[in-house]
Amino acid sequence: MDIVFTAATVRYAGRVALHPLDLALSERRIGIVGLNGSGKTTMARLINGLVKPTEGSVTVDGLDTLADEKAARGKTGFIFQNPQHQMILPILAEDIAFGLKNRGLAKAEIAERTEAILSRFGISHLARRRVHELSGGETQLAAIASVLVTGPDLLILDEPTNQLDLKNRALIERTVAGLPEQVIVITHDLALIEGFDRVLVFHEGRLAADSRPAEAIGAYRKIAAC
Amino acid sequence: MLNALDIEGDSPLHRMPVRGKLVLLFSAAIGLFVVSDLRVLVPALALSAGLLLSTGIGAGQAFRRTRFVLFTVLLVAAANYVFVSPHEAAVVFCRLAALVLLAAAVTATTGISAFMDEIARLLTPLERYGFVRAADVSLAVGLVIRFVPEILSRYRDIAEAHRARGLPVRPLTTLVPLIILTLKDADTIAMAIDARGFRRH
Amino acid sequence: MSTRDIVLVALFAAIIVVLGLLPPITLGFIPVPITAQSLGVMLAGCILGARRGAAAVLLVLLLGAIGLPVFSGGRGGLAVFAGPTAGYLVGFVPGAYVCGLIAERLVKEDQAELSQFLSFLAASVVGGIAVVYLFGIPWLAYMSGKAFFGTAAASLVFLPGDLIKAFVAMLAGRAVLAGYPLLPQRA
Repeated sequence: MDIVFTAATVRYAGRVALHPLDLALSERRIGIVGLNGSGKTTMARLINGLVKPTEGSVTVDGLDTLADEKAARGKTGFIFQNPQHQMILPILAEDIAFGLKNRGLAKAEIAERTEAILSRFGISHLARRRVHELSGGETQLAAIASVLVTGPDLLILDEPTNQLDLKNRALIERTVAGLPEQVIVITHDLALIEGFDRVLVFHEGRLAADSRPAEAIGAYRKIAAC
Repeated sequence: MLNALDIEGDSPLHRMPVRGKLVLLFSAAIGLFVVSDLRVLVPALALSAGLLLSTGIGAGQAFRRTRFVLFTVLLVAAANYVFVSPHEAAVVFCRLAALVLLAAAVTATTGISAFMDEIARLLTPLERYGFVRAADVSLAVGLVIRFVPEILSRYRDIAEAHRARGLPVRPLTTLVPLIILTLKDADTIAMAIDARGFRRH
Repeated sequence: MSTRDIVLVALFAAIIVVLGLLPPITLGFIPVPITAQSLGVMLAGCILGARRGAAAVLLVLLLGAIGLPVFSGGRGGLAVFAGPTAGYLVGFVPGAYVCGLIAERLVKEDQAELSQFLSFLAASVVGGIAVVYLFGIPWLAYMSGKAFFGTAAASLVFLPGDLIKAFVAMLAGRAVLAGYPLLPQRA
């Protein structure tokens, strides 16, 4: 799927979060790194429409995030840093069904697709479990399932392993590696994106580097060092 | 954590639709308040108690659930005994207790999702006028049930931190951080909900 | 209401439920234990404002009505609404609304601390006590039949505890305003 930024700019009262960005993304695995406040989070949120460009435009598979907001958003799933903030209904299966309910699907189909996504991630046994009883990694996995159940082509993960311990981090890394969907990961965990197709480095609201992981990460380290 | 109060069973009340039970409760309330005759109220109380027990709840559980409210009913009856007459006390007691037990029977035989479905139906006229959306209410209910255990556990962490610092666990010093920390999460949670396409308008 | 508002309302409702799960405090000079839950009503108005505060309280009532043990001490279900003190419960909703209304109108972020305190106190007393009693006492009186005068007078035993709660709400309201202001302020 092609994501195209055309002079996309994001300005908040008094400051520029993202300077005009021209970019075309189509790789299967894309990593985004940068210091906090570098604009990487803003840029990622432009893709799923959580942030709207003050100027310029962003299109996802040809759909404009402003003009065709809902359709564009339907193409992407977004995973946030804190697993606890994403599971919003008490029982896992209910939370997964939530995204489907919003689309007006029939009960039977909702049940079927919920079951399918749970088995896909090997968490069928957790279906009736209370969400607050799950471990951080299980919760994050459940969040990924609940976001992918609606069938988006692209999954964006915003620092998905930040709050996880080593074991759970490995779980998420494995899961992400195995996803057939197109994936964009924003992360401080550089090992996560080493094998990716393309890595973007943001700094002070601008794209500072854009290449294969090794070079890009090298550039990032240089920026971080000074 | 928050376990629903309805119980499994197949009694007539269980099988009755929600709306029917609510109408029944409402009519009973009106009936009980219009009548002052002990010859009607005492059997009414017995009938309510019988209905509650017929749900399969067991006397112990039934008592445990209603004892606080029944206690307030007893106090009100006692006030009548002191200020009015023993007869009036009996009337008030039978009337209020009958209503309380009947209400408990409805709660015991009606599941949360049954209630929520009925609420969605009742809200449809209001939805047309744009006052409130059933989907919003149902999401809100889910969110509360989802987050109560986390907030309780956060409270315990805050109280523990107090004790570790040798501070007394006072409402002010514990509630303020509890409220701020909890409400700060609202932004990211709302974003996660929006990212999943919640608002369809 | 935006999604964020819905989440704020739900989270605050959850806080009110948690307040009900905390053990009641018994102060020596007051004959009845103080439950933190009705404090939640005042806090809802002072912190979230009129609309969201009332919505949060209404949400708690809804949860209790559909059979969840959300009221003080883990009580719930329609039985609670059938009792003599149900008027107070129902009154919590307009109470939170009025409390929020007063807080929204009187409190300003750039005011002196004392003015803010007094505004929150006024909001808590008028909304959290007066309005709630306005619903609670007549209901209690009606349920008490001919002994209404006695029970209404007896119910005033809760007033000292409620006044203390109003003070706590005043302090907490102001502290939250300083730490994470959410009160929609209208001139």
